[in-house]
Amino acid sequence: MSKILRINMTDQSHKWENLPKKWKTLAGRAFTSTVVAEEVDPTFHPLREHNKFVISPGLLAGTTAPSSGRLSVGGKSPLTGGIKEANAGGLTATRLGKLGIRGIIIEGKPPEDDENWYSIIVSKDKVEIKQTNDYAGIGLYDLIDKIWEEYDSRPGIIGTGIIGQRLHLNAGVFGNNIENTDPSRYAGRGGLGAVLGSKRIVAIISDDSGCDRPEPEDEELFDTGRKKLVKALNDHPVTGRLKDEDGAPYGGLKNYGTNILQNIINEAGGLPVRNFAKGQWDGAAKISGEAVHELVDETDEKFGDKAEGTYGHPCHPGCIMACSNAVPDRETGKSIVAPLEYETAWALGSNCEIDNLKHVATLNRLCNDLGLDTIEAGNTIAMFMEAGEIDFGDGEAAIELLKEAYDPDSETGALVASGAKVAGEALGVDRIPVVKGQSLPAYDPRPIRGIGVTYATTPMGADHTAGYTIAAEILGIKGEVTDPREIKKADLSRTFQATTAYIDSSGYCLFIAFAILDNDDGFAGMTETVNGFLGTEVDVTDYGMHVLEIEREFNKKAGFTKEDDRLPEFFYNEELPPHNVAFDVPDEELDAVHG
Amino acid sequence: MVDDARANENTILQLEHKTGETFADFLERLGVDEDDVGDCFLNGKLVKPSDEIPDDVRIGLFPFNMRLLCGGQHLKGHGYTQSDVDVDYY
Repeated sequence: MSKILRINMTDQSHKWENLPKKWKTLAGRAFTSTVVAEEVDPTFHPLREHNKFVISPGLLAGTTAPSSGRLSVGGKSPLTGGIKEANAGGLTATRLGKLGIRGIIIEGKPPEDDENWYSIIVSKDKVEIKQTNDYAGIGLYDLIDKIWEEYDSRPGIIGTGIIGQRLHLNAGVFGNNIENTDPSRYAGRGGLGAVLGSKRIVAIISDDSGCDRPEPEDEELFDTGRKKLVKALNDHPVTGRLKDEDGAPYGGLKNYGTNILQNIINEAGGLPVRNFAKGQWDGAAKISGEAVHELVDETDEKFGDKAEGTYGHPCHPGCIMACSNAVPDRETGKSIVAPLEYETAWALGSNCEIDNLKHVATLNRLCNDLGLDTIEAGNTIAMFMEAGEIDFGDGEAAIELLKEAYDPDSETGALVASGAKVAGEALGVDRIPVVKGQSLPAYDPRPIRGIGVTYATTPMGADHTAGYTIAAEILGIKGEVTDPREIKKADLSRTFQATTAYIDSSGYCLFIAFAILDNDDGFAGMTETVNGFLGTEVDVTDYGMHVLEIEREFNKKAGFTKEDDRLPEFFYNEELPPHNVAFDVPDEELDAVHG
Repeated sequence: MVDDARANENTILQLEHKTGETFADFLERLGVDEDDVGDCFLNGKLVKPSDEIPDDVRIGLFPFNMRLLCGGQHLKGHGYTQSDVDVDYY
């Protein structure tokens, strides 16, 4: 029986609640957004006591469904001022799923004169809220080591780093990876790490020792679906096995990670380069997934068992797509960072015109250690570059700039940790790529207009994962759509946004999208596992649309209007080479997404 | 196809233009099986087998397992990543 754990940080008390019947089908994003919408006043300040920090494992977390161990965290975002859900892999969702916890709701905050830092430890039949002042003010690589030394159950850990403890706006929520070698499993976006920091919490530690897997209501249907989905994922050239029967590389994600996209999006002329000034450059190959793959093979050969680079690495237990990696140092074979994702390599690389893989990986490691969202951090560094504070392409200067954030007395450090909007405005930049205060990710909305519609209209602020319409859209370059039925960008984006909201609630990784959208059996596998688990039938689009409605309603009450569903001005009137297109989706079409 | 090619550099092959050559013909000229390609580009736009290749263009070749990462392969119309093209939208 799933339960809700409610923690009150005002007096460090906790209580268990039964899952209300009306919330029976809600998990992951559906759960976090519902709780935030029902319990948080949209007009209140996100860093004061009335905001809540909500954690929910996806519905199927802890079960045998493939790649279903994703975690959602939510609250009112300090960065956007609206509702927020951020999503990550790591260990915590699986641990909470097995503990039978559908959600943790953290409310209140310690009184002003309490300067202690706390951590929450959740295990079978026991919840502790402990003073952990020694966890605060240290880098996250040291913190996760320390926690695994103190707890021998290989616990899941999520929490906030130095940046969130100082309440800066670009504070992500970190999570440890399966091996606990890297605090890299980030629910990064929207500054939710600062919400945890405002409640004086550093870490939430989950131990599922002695717990069994959650039982599906309809075992047979669940199992039928699971087998279908496993097959669809394994057979697909994007999500499939590492090698084919001849030993040649097969599955794109296992071999090259998400950074398989660096070269492809560059070739499509949709890779934002130099703060969204051009859509293509010569540096992409140097920081691409293929480059990492080659470097891993090279260091494996050179250092043998001592080599720490890898690809085809799962980000959470039970993931069969395994798109994660570890980038080795060419000189030592030791891991610099695990993983280097596409969005990160883009933000800290292409967007800053940094084409040195080691510099990019080092910047990523610094973000992980400090507790920064990498997409926002890369865009923020680009603001410093645009303002002429440092030069585009200067990786070493970018590293020094990011290191400023360790120093509590550095104003530059505070600025670099505050996101692109704050930094850009403070530095007098007039090309600030944000929607609702959140930076754009790695697809330029001018040649890839459908993703532009998603950036503009998702309740989350600019977010590629909210409605991932890339493949369907990149064809529309240069406006040569000739389909007599006219696929409207609005319909496309809405459908993708709703399906995404469902997937973000199920616990499945969004990357199952390849296998479910290209393979009807895969889609059936997804719905049958969810329906089999719940013992009731849920309609994908209705479920997803309901989540979106809740989120939009919250934002409306927080003061958002349709004028907030727009891209920054420069996308409309600066053409992006090489396709030389501006964003030309009319406002009426943007407004039609949510009707 | 290119000597000393490395994954961390652009692999560039300069070829003569042939009048009237389609992308399918072009793959044949290179000796590349159509089952082995994914999303490929002609001057940054997804290319279809029947597209004629003009002079002085940039072609981006990607293998079958490298493609724009998301569902909706059937929308692409080129047939390389999804055999059952429901509707050719473009």
